[in-house]
Amino acid sequence: MKTIKYLFILAISLFATTACMNNFDDPTLEFPPIGNNNIGEATTTIKDLKVKYASTIKSNGYEQFTDDIVIEGVVVANDETGNVYKQIVINDATGAIIIGVNDVGIYATLPIGQRIRISCKDLFIGGYGSLAQIGIKYYNAKYSEYQIGRMSKKEFRDHMRIVGEPNTNQEELTPLEVTEEFLDNKTNKDSAPIYAVLKGVSFKEADGRRLFAPEEEQISETNTAVERNVYVGNHKVLFRMSTYADFANTVIPKGKFDIYGVLTRYRNPGSNSDSNDVWQFMLTSTDDMIKAE
Amino acid sequence: MKSIFNKFALLLFCCMSAIGVSAQEEMKLNKEIKRDPMLRFAQDTVLLGEYNEMLQASNDDKDSFTFSEGQLDDDEDLIQGSSSMVSSNDDYFLSEVGYLFSPMRFRIRAYENQYNNVYMNGVLMNDAERGTFSFGMIGGLNDATRNKEGATYLENNSFGYSNIGGASNINTRASQYAAGHKLSLVGCNRNYLARVMYTYSTGLMNNGWALTGSASYRWANEGVIEGTFYNSFGYFLSAQKVINDNHSISITTWGSPTERGQQGAATEEAYWLANSHYYNPYWGYQNGEKRNSRVVTSFEPTVLFTWDWQIDRETKLTTSVAGKYSNYATTALGWNGNAADPRPNYYKNLPSAEFDVWDLNYEPTDDELANWQESYNYWKASKSNRQINWDQLYFANRQANASGIDALYYIEKRHNDQMAINLSSVLNHEIDKNNKFMVGINVGTTKGMHYKTLDDLLGSNSYGLDIDKFSIGDFGINDIQVMNDVDNPNRIIKKGDVFNYDYDINVNKANLFGQFTHNIDGFFFYAGANIEGTTIERYGNMRNGRAVHYSKGSSGTAKFLSGGGKIGFNWNIDGNNTISAGFGLQENAPLAANSFIAPRVRNDFVSGLTNERIWNQEISYRFAYGPITAKLSGYYTLISNAVQLSAFYNDNENQFTYLTMNGIEKQHYGAELAVVYNATSSLSFNFVGSIGNAEYMNDVDGSFISESDTKPTEDKVYMRGAHINGTPLTALSLGVDYNIKGWYLNASVNYYDRVYISASPYARLGETLKINGNLTEGIGSDGETVTEIQRPSQFKGKGGFMVDASIGKSINLRGGKRLNINLMLNNVLNNENMITGGYEQNRNNKYSDGEDRTYKFSKNPFLYYASAFNAYLNIGLRF
Repeated sequence: MKTIKYLFILAISLFATTACMNNFDDPTLEFPPIGNNNIGEATTTIKDLKVKYASTIKSNGYEQFTDDIVIEGVVVANDETGNVYKQIVINDATGAIIIGVNDVGIYATLPIGQRIRISCKDLFIGGYGSLAQIGIKYYNAKYSEYQIGRMSKKEFRDHMRIVGEPNTNQEELTPLEVTEEFLDNKTNKDSAPIYAVLKGVSFKEADGRRLFAPEEEQISETNTAVERNVYVGNHKVLFRMSTYADFANTVIPKGKFDIYGVLTRYRNPGSNSDSNDVWQFMLTSTDDMIKAE
Repeated sequence: MKSIFNKFALLLFCCMSAIGVSAQEEMKLNKEIKRDPMLRFAQDTVLLGEYNEMLQASNDDKDSFTFSEGQLDDDEDLIQGSSSMVSSNDDYFLSEVGYLFSPMRFRIRAYENQYNNVYMNGVLMNDAERGTFSFGMIGGLNDATRNKEGATYLENNSFGYSNIGGASNINTRASQYAAGHKLSLVGCNRNYLARVMYTYSTGLMNNGWALTGSASYRWANEGVIEGTFYNSFGYFLSAQKVINDNHSISITTWGSPTERGQQGAATEEAYWLANSHYYNPYWGYQNGEKRNSRVVTSFEPTVLFTWDWQIDRETKLTTSVAGKYSNYATTALGWNGNAADPRPNYYKNLPSAEFDVWDLNYEPTDDELANWQESYNYWKASKSNRQINWDQLYFANRQANASGIDALYYIEKRHNDQMAINLSSVLNHEIDKNNKFMVGINVGTTKGMHYKTLDDLLGSNSYGLDIDKFSIGDFGINDIQVMNDVDNPNRIIKKGDVFNYDYDINVNKANLFGQFTHNIDGFFFYAGANIEGTTIERYGNMRNGRAVHYSKGSSGTAKFLSGGGKIGFNWNIDGNNTISAGFGLQENAPLAANSFIAPRVRNDFVSGLTNERIWNQEISYRFAYGPITAKLSGYYTLISNAVQLSAFYNDNENQFTYLTMNGIEKQHYGAELAVVYNATSSLSFNFVGSIGNAEYMNDVDGSFISESDTKPTEDKVYMRGAHINGTPLTALSLGVDYNIKGWYLNASVNYYDRVYISASPYARLGETLKINGNLTEGIGSDGETVTEIQRPSQFKGKGGFMVDASIGKSINLRGGKRLNINLMLNNVLNNENMITGGYEQNRNNKYSDGEDRTYKFSKNPFLYYASAFNAYLNIGLRF
């Protein structure tokens, strides 16, 4: 019986030592685990950069940065819902620019309001549809030419520094209130992309039934976007919605909204006609549509 | 000759007596040393079982929503089921193959584990949902569960009805254990590194009581596979009271609370990049420590009560009741919204996702080459690059906190709990010297509880609502259909909460069986039959938005009446030649785990569900001539009306999807040979071989449903010719045993070939074949439909040799104590290229519109490799 007692004690003590081995403390993350934490302060503004390379951008060209240029801005558009894909837009007090990155789920580390720096050296700047973008050059087999394209995930992380925590109350998050007059002025297109708000507008398609981007309405078999129209006064702004967006099959709400996002342009490189140079709007999420008073 | 032998035997006996051990005991001892590893293999959850669990765990390559209960057949610790098949006869083949071929996960006759029955004191302990016995239930309790009786399908036994994979009955009555203490210490480089096991038994005491207890602990801070760990305790307590000559009662309780990190499969490309066939994608560094994302916790406490009633000299009634409440859960990474797949070996992270590396005529562009190189360099640059980046996941959640959004990454826990009560009562009666019968019942009720809980928010403040991320794009975030729990639409999920799915599977079974044996003049005849009733029900605890009317509450009850019969004989012709043969026809109710088309979401049964039918026949011949004994067997098994459920993330549909095949025909056939040549009394050579085939015979009716579909799509699954996977269909062994002065040496050279990996039903679905241009339907000259099919080939591992060796020594100490030391060396030549199994990806090389994808899934199956060289040292002390 004594032995049984010992056996029991042994069993209990063994059981007691069988403590959980799968306990981990949260990492402290003194520095962001993504990005290049050695990038120094901004050396120029986004506007200056766009002005400097204006002709390259407008001509859908590309040019490599050879100098140590650093820009800093706050993320104003990203891929959170899948409507924006493989790019983000950053904005500083002077303007916005698209950063093309061949990666998905970028918003997980770079939510709206995150301040980042981009060390431009060795990257490329150029225009796609005459819209300013930082990326790398890539060979477009379809047109047999090089153009501005997305940098790889690694290149991005080597050239990007996360600064501080995301904060949606920052000066850079003050959108330009877009008026009909602003849209009418063609020269404004050269400053796209622009972090903007369209005030008190509604979707032309909103009838309480139509969806944002159903597959049946996509532009073509290979182009998975659906076109939706918003008018600021009489000036049309084209929304190209992705059928892959989380809200693709959500009904377009009726009524007037203040829509926050990025005003872009698309200028068909093959044509000089005004009708081939249009304003477009990049919407991150339907949460950025605020019911207007 | 005879006199020389007698003298030798006398001499041997004297020698033995001189050192205080009878020859008989020595033989038994050696056998025990030798068998110990076999039993260990048979019982540890670790070595064989984890393999199948790994298969299961990573059977889907996309997501955290991987497990389907239907697939749980691949799960767990069960593969040893058939490899540990034991025979009531002293069958050399059956007793050896289980251990010999275990490094290659050999399954006898390639039977699935559900065809092997495990009884304890006469109660059937197989899981009623999946059909298999969970060896994790008795993990680490090797010494306590060693007493067992076994029988093949066509052998008689005294405890129950055996399935085609045989049956064994573990005896836990306390009086059956040798009185005394036994301590065993193990050191090895396997899934655990150390084991301590202590067993004590009083034997049957004068007061009629017998008590036995056993405790064990198995441990590895890190197992031989990087990133795994092992932490397992085992206890076993048994008490028996022999009331009088007629009655004895016994109560036993045991359990084995275990926590361990898993190993995942990877593609050959990932193994190549990691420069190891043992690369484990499941772990990553967190604060410099290795953290595994797939942690299994299991604990199956069981109580078993037995009453033995010796009614008279010829009649015995054994009645047992077993109750268990098993807790089994596996963790996995989950991610929300459009966050990137965090798994390091996700296909888009691999170099071959950059351009088609398989088409040698394809000339990559400079960009593609550069991207390939960059990806390659990343994989090669450091170990942490090949593993989960926990810091990034925490960082993303911290960013989400700051932005006021819900967790992007989290750890979920998938539970498969089960409560089961089983009762058996078996009457054995000896009619006369030559005629016996057995009749018995096994009645059981099982409730399987399947649900998911939130295990770790990885630093996030909130999980948010319980919605299906895959359905948001289809229905819009505000639609009722995206909700997993419509009755609680605003419930915020917190750590520990149940979410995503929650349902029970209820199975009741009643089995009546009988057996008759007749034995006369070397002729042994045997007949057995059973009749079984089964009910199956799903009970949903959540109203799923995608099946509002078909998810909550009862599915209704499906009832199955099944049964079968078998006869066999054993003719001992002249003492040296014996012929055995037999056949049987068996119908089994379908497994509950395969009976529902989308069990996590819906109540619907698979349509046309019916009993599975098994025809089994075998013949064997044994002979003994002088020093040679041999047994040669041939078998043929035909399984029809079988059902199989696969569940996976369908990349083309962007949905979690189920594919059920109903009406499968499979055949297993082959030959088995065992030869033992006793060259001297201490030296013997043996050969063991199994060459067989096991394959799907028909193109099966399939039904395909995603979690957001309202009804399944019917389609053909072109399975014909696909082989049963995960076991070498050719396994041969040549071994030598040498035994002298208490030393025991053994070595074997083993050859394995034809190990197939699991054939993906999705890759063989009519629709998939059509998209790929491998299925064309035309009109023949007589106006008939002509179908042309190019069937996907099934990946097969290359054959190869592995060498095992062991050395043991038994030392008698003073006071009747005994020390056993046994060292086993497996895969001595360190062959790291033996594939034990794996699975094809359930993804297609083309998008649904026929456009090619860059990455070629069909060229990248997930593979498992047999363990590298490993050693196992066991020191046992009896005192």
